[in-house]
Amino acid sequence: MTLTWKKLLVPLSVLPVLFLLAYGFRTDPRQVPSPLIEKEAPPFALTLFDGEHLSLEKLRGKVVVVNFWASWCVPACYEEAPVLEAAWRAYRDSDVVIVGVNVQDTEEAAREFMRRFEFSFPNGPDPRGKISIDYGVYGIPETFILDKEGRIAYKHIGAVTAETLSEHINRLLGEAPRMEDRRKGHERKT
Amino acid sequence: MTADLGNIALWIALVVAVYGAVAAIVGHRQGRPALLDSAYNGVLVHCALVTMALLSLEYALITSDFSIQYVVFNSSRNYPVWYKIAGLWGALEGSLLLWAWMQAVLAALVVLLYWRKHLAFLPYVIAVLMGISAFFVLVMLIPANPFTQHFPVPLEGRGLNPLLEDTSMLVHPLLLYSGYVGFTVPYAFAMAALITGRLSAEWLYITRRWAVTAWMFLTAGIIYGGWWSYHVLGWGGYWAWDPVENASFMPWLAGTAYIHSVMTQEKRGMLKVWNLALISLTFALVIFGTFLTRSGILTSVHAFTQGAVGYFFLALLAVILLSTVTLLTLRADQLKTEGTVDSVLSRESAFLFNNLLLITFCFTLFLGTIFPLLAEAVRGVKVSVGAPYFNYVAGPIALGLLFLMGVGPVIPWRGGSWGGLGRNLLGPGVVGLAAGATAFVLGIRGPSVVATYAVAVFVAAIAVQEYYRGIRARRKTAGEGPLRALGQLFARNRRRYGGLVVHLGVALLAIGIASSSTFQVQREQMLKKGEALEAGSYRVRFDGITGSRGPTHVKVQGIFTVFNDRHEAGQMTPALRFYPRQQEPIAEVDYWIGFWEDLYVILGSFDREGNWAVIKVMVNPMVSWIWMGGAIMVLGTLLALWPARFRSAAVRGERS
Amino acid sequence: MRSANRRVLIGGLIILAAVAYLVWTGTQEALIYFYTPSELQAEEIGRPGRRIRLGGLVVEGSLNYEPETLNYEFQLTDGTAMIPVQFKGIPPDLFKEGAGAIVEGQMVANGVFQADLIMAKHNEEYRAPAGTRPKSEELYRSLIKEQ
Repeated sequence: MTLTWKKLLVPLSVLPVLFLLAYGFRTDPRQVPSPLIEKEAPPFALTLFDGEHLSLEKLRGKVVVVNFWASWCVPACYEEAPVLEAAWRAYRDSDVVIVGVNVQDTEEAAREFMRRFEFSFPNGPDPRGKISIDYGVYGIPETFILDKEGRIAYKHIGAVTAETLSEHINRLLGEAPRMEDRRKGHERKT
Repeated sequence: MTADLGNIALWIALVVAVYGAVAAIVGHRQGRPALLDSAYNGVLVHCALVTMALLSLEYALITSDFSIQYVVFNSSRNYPVWYKIAGLWGALEGSLLLWAWMQAVLAALVVLLYWRKHLAFLPYVIAVLMGISAFFVLVMLIPANPFTQHFPVPLEGRGLNPLLEDTSMLVHPLLLYSGYVGFTVPYAFAMAALITGRLSAEWLYITRRWAVTAWMFLTAGIIYGGWWSYHVLGWGGYWAWDPVENASFMPWLAGTAYIHSVMTQEKRGMLKVWNLALISLTFALVIFGTFLTRSGILTSVHAFTQGAVGYFFLALLAVILLSTVTLLTLRADQLKTEGTVDSVLSRESAFLFNNLLLITFCFTLFLGTIFPLLAEAVRGVKVSVGAPYFNYVAGPIALGLLFLMGVGPVIPWRGGSWGGLGRNLLGPGVVGLAAGATAFVLGIRGPSVVATYAVAVFVAAIAVQEYYRGIRARRKTAGEGPLRALGQLFARNRRRYGGLVVHLGVALLAIGIASSSTFQVQREQMLKKGEALEAGSYRVRFDGITGSRGPTHVKVQGIFTVFNDRHEAGQMTPALRFYPRQQEPIAEVDYWIGFWEDLYVILGSFDREGNWAVIKVMVNPMVSWIWMGGAIMVLGTLLALWPARFRSAAVRGERS
Repeated sequence: MRSANRRVLIGGLIILAAVAYLVWTGTQEALIYFYTPSELQAEEIGRPGRRIRLGGLVVEGSLNYEPETLNYEFQLTDGTAMIPVQFKGIPPDLFKEGAGAIVEGQMVANGVFQADLIMAKHNEEYRAPAGTRPKSEELYRSLIKEQ
């Protein structure tokens, strides 16, 4: 039983099938691009949990991060909550606003969630789901990053990471934030 | 704590599995019985460790320990305990653990049963089985850890996917996995035969029961899956040619080919390479199916997790294919066939054609399933291959198989005469043709349906004829009563007579499939209160809606009064279930199952004041024949498998 | 080669040829191609009678629905092109304005797409928000009140 070159060709014949299957990883059959990218972000007004009012139009000129979350969204919302709070603390002095939109939740659970993650950025409920419909939100969490002109520059599905957030915010700000702010953010997070 | 226990058990189980595999080979090669004994113990220890991991996860599920992420995702405090237990196979990580556990238990069974008897094979059998086990444990330790902890600990879990909150969920995956795992034992013995060069039919005899048992579980699992789809998913069908369904059907086809073709090797010493290739193909298709459903490379109604798990399964598939094909190539010259086909009219040629059809069937499914990938890779277009392709291709092939299924059992080995064949086929042939003609006279015109009826009745008639002849012969020669003669038939040739029962089940199944897919009546309409909709002989009147609260959801029921031929036949209450954390309500079908037809009602949408509702009513003919056919197939397999302790001596005497 | 073997071989080849023919015609007739609205508009691929899938977003404000006849009309867009779609039946519950949908059917006259199947985009990985649906608690209360 020796392995000659000719015999080696037989096992090699399975390789094309394997390559084809491996190719499958490159494509995502579910992917549909968001038509909202580069479009003007739908305006909304939010009554925050602390009773204040927030209107998107008043935030023109700033980079706005709109995050849709819910307290029952485990684990993605739990993963990204500290990231969002840290980003808010790092960027709040540099024309960046993070807005949390709480969807399909009870007020009690939402407040408990915010307490747990020490949320200090503006958060408000979307009781009739109007904002999430306008934004074509299709699952929780989703995050939209708006440029200074109020256009949607980036849409993120699922838990957002610190790298993605700062990459897009920095790009839209056109400058890197001051380093000490960033460090401060990390210290508080840990 | 529980998580640590589980993780530690898995890590040690991985080390032990790898050790067992290596020790078995080294111990065998260097002739060190002590090392072999320790490999033997390794298999048992591995089984104990995986059992421990499984129990840890079950403990966490039952006690709602939400510090473990898997429990958060697949359980909820207010579940009944059965659903908590079933949470184990509700998602990827737990299913892998269940799989690994079944694998470990089978490996332990193999060494316990065969240690003294088949020492020549066992070192390599252990190596292959432990290799597969090590793979599953590795997948659980790296990309899909069931014991990943979750912090902060949520107060309540997310619960299972509502579609899985059904009693079928307790059974269907267990059956399917038992089938999948069962095929690893014949595969391991085939590999051992190839490596050791013991290429006689010995490995076939040892693993025959394993293969048939695995096949039975796979059959039951697939049909039970159809039943789940029919009564839970609420689209009125039982099979959608979804990639996930194809993933279980392809190994079934290859496995079916295998359990038939082994008989050719046993009786005639033919098809040796083919049998080794078939069992390897069956196992490779099991892994391919898992890869397909777990890698996210294809869309499916059963959406699954995407991620690194896919790469692992692809790697395993590559190892299996490359090693098996290499081994087969190396041993090819020692696998010369002993017999040849003496006549086209012989059992062996019937089996050859049956195998050819089954494997080409399997290949057409494979092609259809991966075609979207192929098209995108080669031509850059997105296509989907839907039910039309599969129905178009599967129909004629299945009909051909059905025909061979009838003819096969009455052609003798080596060759028969046309005259003998004519005597065997005349009666059933006439009955089959008569059935087809009756269908035609009754106004059924679809050629494929009429042909299916004719061939299925032909197959059933053959099974009945063979039973009748067997009983008659015994009554004549041994003077037994009919029941005793029937018992003796089974006792003397379980495989043949059990197999005929399975064939009878397939015939029922075929009639059920052909009827339900051709004569389904479907009506969809908005009904105001008091209005009615007609479908077939039924009238369905909308009477209002009502709400109720279940343990995990709020249920809105439509109330419909059903008339059959103007007589009030009863009330039906299809419902929509609203889950607090799910945007989509889940439709709950209401159905009446009957011998000739099922009435199947789905609530589409409704007015909250109860003034109107949209419903879909279907009359599905002869769907219950599919479930009956499935049950008969399982029964027949059990008859064929039934152990017969006292019979062996007598039969051996008879054969020699 | 002996004649029996040859006959078996010939029989096998006939089976193989028949299956190959089936697969060939099957892939010619029964494949369903997937397009976006702009592809469909640009390439004139949507010749009437050919079954295709079309994926996009349901345009806000474009949905017309007659509950009496279960007729739906809406526009599907991918951001650049829009295709009017007609559908009769019960769409899945995730189907709504502003959400993604895949429809299956064929182009008919005047550039209208006649769909007989709607698949709303649905993902298991993360759960969908409330949308327009009343919360189950609220729904439950309103239903109990009626009785």
